Amino acid sequence: MAPDLLDAYKKMNSSAISLKRISKRYGPKEIIHNLSFDVEPGEIVGFLGPNGAGKTTTMKMIAGTSTATSGTVRVAGFDMATQPEEGTKRLGYLPEHPPLYDILKVSGFLNFIANAKGIPRRLRKIELDKVVNACKLENVVESEIYKLSKGYRQRLGLAQALVGDPEVLLLDEPTAGLDPGQIQETREVIRKFGTNHAVLLSTHILTEVTLICSRVAIINQGKLLAIDSPEGLQKALEETSTVGLVTSGNSTSIQEELSNLDNVLSISAKTDKSNRTKITCHVESDDNIESEIARIVIKKGNLFSLNRQSPSLENVFLRYIKESKDLRNTN
Amino acid sequence: MNGLLAIYGKEMATYFRSPIAYFLISSFLLGTGYFFIYNVFSSGTATMDLTFRDMAFLLMILVPVLTMRIFSGEYSGRTMELLIALPINTWQIVLGKYLAAVTILVIMTVATFVNLIPMFLYGNPHLVNIICGYIGFILLGMASISIGLFFSALTQNQIVAALITLPTLLGFWWVGHLQNMQSNSFMQDFLGYIAFSLHYSELIRGLLRSEAVIYYLLVAATSIILTISYIKWRR
Repeated sequence: MAPDLLDAYKKMNSSAISLKRISKRYGPKEIIHNLSFDVEPGEIVGFLGPNGAGKTTTMKMIAGTSTATSGTVRVAGFDMATQPEEGTKRLGYLPEHPPLYDILKVSGFLNFIANAKGIPRRLRKIELDKVVNACKLENVVESEIYKLSKGYRQRLGLAQALVGDPEVLLLDEPTAGLDPGQIQETREVIRKFGTNHAVLLSTHILTEVTLICSRVAIINQGKLLAIDSPEGLQKALEETSTVGLVTSGNSTSIQEELSNLDNVLSISAKTDKSNRTKITCHVESDDNIESEIARIVIKKGNLFSLNRQSPSLENVFLRYIKESKDLRNTN
Repeated sequence: MNGLLAIYGKEMATYFRSPIAYFLISSFLLGTGYFFIYNVFSSGTATMDLTFRDMAFLLMILVPVLTMRIFSGEYSGRTMELLIALPINTWQIVLGKYLAAVTILVIMTVATFVNLIPMFLYGNPHLVNIICGYIGFILLGMASISIGLFFSALTQNQIVAALITLPTLLGFWWVGHLQNMQSNSFMQDFLGYIAFSLHYSELIRGLLRSEAVIYYLLVAATSIILTISYIKWRR
């Protein structure tokens, strides 16, 4: 098979980003252990983890600025160890600190990026106008970079990653240092881009993940703890969710009856001055549990409210991090 | 080739948007002008021999200033990551940067041609000597810049890069003096061969020998290859 045909064939069968059992060692210290996951075209994957979890190191290995000690990293089907030029051609990368040349003008800098990415001269102006508009940089195009505010620097960093419409976009904390309005605009840019490209973004802002990501990868201490959609991760923890209710009935007798139910694990109650009792039940996942609880409570008095509280993504995250720590301690 | 030109263009913009290029060219011209007037008018002969020697010495001092930021600046500004993540080969990055620095050297050199005007107007200098001298000067500069380039790739501190480059260049210049202290004839030849100054004095006397040309180009090629390998290894 001809080499270009072979490449095309390989590409058809490959994810936009594919990590297979990658590890990274610095001397005796292993920073990343056996990490594997894929990012498909058209999805935005959030990379979540506490500081020092290995997010940036993993990003660097995907971008090819650092090499994995073992395992393979593929970008658009190209191995970053053996074909880095093919991989980097299809990749836009915004590192943690936006890499900018302070002494150049914004236009000069973007021109350099377009040249380096090999964008033909006749398309260059259209391409640069497009990213300048997308990142709202029109007002600063002729300014020197050292004069820019932090928000503009961050957006210029994003703009350079978007130049050339890369298949894969790697963003290391893209909204750090932006004000709320800018954060929203930036998310919009990423969301739009993510509809037909593959985006991997690292963050520790949990709302960001729920707002724009279709899947979340949680990592800690260089290990992948979970990868799923935000809803999927929440559901996994829903097995022991809580049902809260407010009633005017006698709290002791209600508690007694509720504790007889199979799926109720524990109950706590608190009566306030107006004689209303707030009861919290920890329950095992069961679709009918709310109606059963309601039936019991109504027999004893008025039911003012009843709701099931799903764990927030924050709880999911903290739980995974805690579990990984416990596991390490017992080992 | 795109990548090499992009890097070259960016480097040239950096030199001329910052004071570095202006500082280097003006201080080199000032120094050369002073030495030229002193040498030509005090001796009353229309030769560039002494001036070439002084120019070389001035070059050894200015090259570290020219090269110290080449890679150190990229490391400390965290822009090296960008260059590596762009679809540019390491050799294109290194060569683009090297050629930009050599361009500054050529501009510095061409600017000194102004000294030749009164010399040709009022004297009768040897054109061949002057051409050979200038060829020697550019070759010496190319070798020196490549050494500065290599040291700049080793550290993210520009001052450290300059402080290693300067003594190294002076060492290559003066190592010829050790020749007389050697009893071993191989060592004598070896030290004579690696000294920048001995090849250079032949060139400014109008002796264009392939040995000298090859030596300077070999130093440049070796340093560039070492720089490329180091940057690749550093990942």
